[in-house]
Amino acid sequence: MLKRFRLEEPESVKDASDFLARHGESARVYAGGTELLLVMKEGLIQYERLINIKNIAGLDEVKLDDGVIHLGALATHCKLASSTLLQERLPAFVRMEKNVANIRVREVGTLGGNLSFAEPHADPGTVLMVLGAKLVAGKSSSRREIPVEKFFVDAYETCLEADEILTGIRVPLLPSHSAVAYLKFGYLERPSVGVALFLAVDGGGKSIADARIAVGCVGPAPKRIEEAESLLKGKGFDEASRLISKAGEIAGDASQAISDLHGSQDYKEHIVQVLLKRAFHQAYGQCQPGGKGQGGLHG
Amino acid sequence: MRFEKEIEILNSKEKVWAFLWDVDRFITCVPGCKEAKTVEAGKSYTAMMVEKVGPFRVEFPMGIEVLESQAMSHIKAQASGSDSRVGSRLKVEIDVRMKEEGEKTHLSLGVTVDILGKLATLGHSIIKRKADLVMEEFAQAIKNRLEGVS
Repeated sequence: MLKRFRLEEPESVKDASDFLARHGESARVYAGGTELLLVMKEGLIQYERLINIKNIAGLDEVKLDDGVIHLGALATHCKLASSTLLQERLPAFVRMEKNVANIRVREVGTLGGNLSFAEPHADPGTVLMVLGAKLVAGKSSSRREIPVEKFFVDAYETCLEADEILTGIRVPLLPSHSAVAYLKFGYLERPSVGVALFLAVDGGGKSIADARIAVGCVGPAPKRIEEAESLLKGKGFDEASRLISKAGEIAGDASQAISDLHGSQDYKEHIVQVLLKRAFHQAYGQCQPGGKGQGGLHG
Repeated sequence: MRFEKEIEILNSKEKVWAFLWDVDRFITCVPGCKEAKTVEAGKSYTAMMVEKVGPFRVEFPMGIEVLESQAMSHIKAQASGSDSRVGSRLKVEIDVRMKEEGEKTHLSLGVTVDILGKLATLGHSIIKRKADLVMEEFAQAIKNRLEGVS
């Protein structure tokens, strides 16, 4: 059962930040509440104050802003999944959002809340990592942009300062002839393994111009695996196809997988390898000229 | 959850053994151990363990019983405690074996950790990772103290 707490309802990021600065660890930002209220009900954590930021205008916008897609931190998973702009520009992100948790979570859970809570078995951080997204954090007197790779510090820990609030996510448009694939595996509601791949091919579609790989859910936080990426960059398709197993092995090793009820470390590392291989073929097919690419069609 | 750790310390077996029984010095090497008291020397102790994973904080007042001890060779102990605030119980079994190898002393730690109650809902992997980090920090700290690094 939930213990008593005071609900503060600031109407601006500055006011919310001031509340956090004033009350320190006894207060926490409340957005969708799908993770926070669960652990509070369980009694695993107690706060004297929840700072409801849902009344702050403009934090749920999804828009194209100066060549960058802006996702408001308070946009719910459902809103993101049904956004026409995202369906057109970031279909892989939309597919991921459509499969976050369950319909009840997607209806009220927000992207910002998901990222800020930093639950290890979450999908969005992994996908945003390969999309090259930056997270916008605001407080009373300043605002900064944080690359996703630097946002997650550990399980349930982010680099947000005590009085900072995640206000939005900025995702660059995909270049021409590029695509993103996100594949996950799990037999419980929370995924055991998530692998995201961004792939760009050269104009003729014969070689890999760029690659970004991220692995999530297996360890404490999503992780970008640059060593595996470098194995693919600049290679022709045939050579990259031969090297993808090795890239998967590197990604598995570097993913900091932990043995748990979802599977052993070895098992998860193997699944990373399998999913990366599948993601490679899926993304490569999509970013071909004439393929169902994302950047290919709209870059 | 079972953890094993091997620690090589550049110091004599006698010094290492004495350190293990010096409660005030020893607890400075145990991450999260805020205070410890001797109830009956060589047999029974109490300690307060405080740990944090992100926003989650637990406090376990622990009772520690030494089950077996053979001078300069091994110690077997059991510790248990409950955090009533989060409704969780922690039980730890520790097996320490030591042997001298030239100028070094080799410590083999075998630790079994059981966490029961709501804390377990955080996830086995997170708890295991935290315990791994604690073991690693402990190993480094005890090495540093006995080798005079700090």
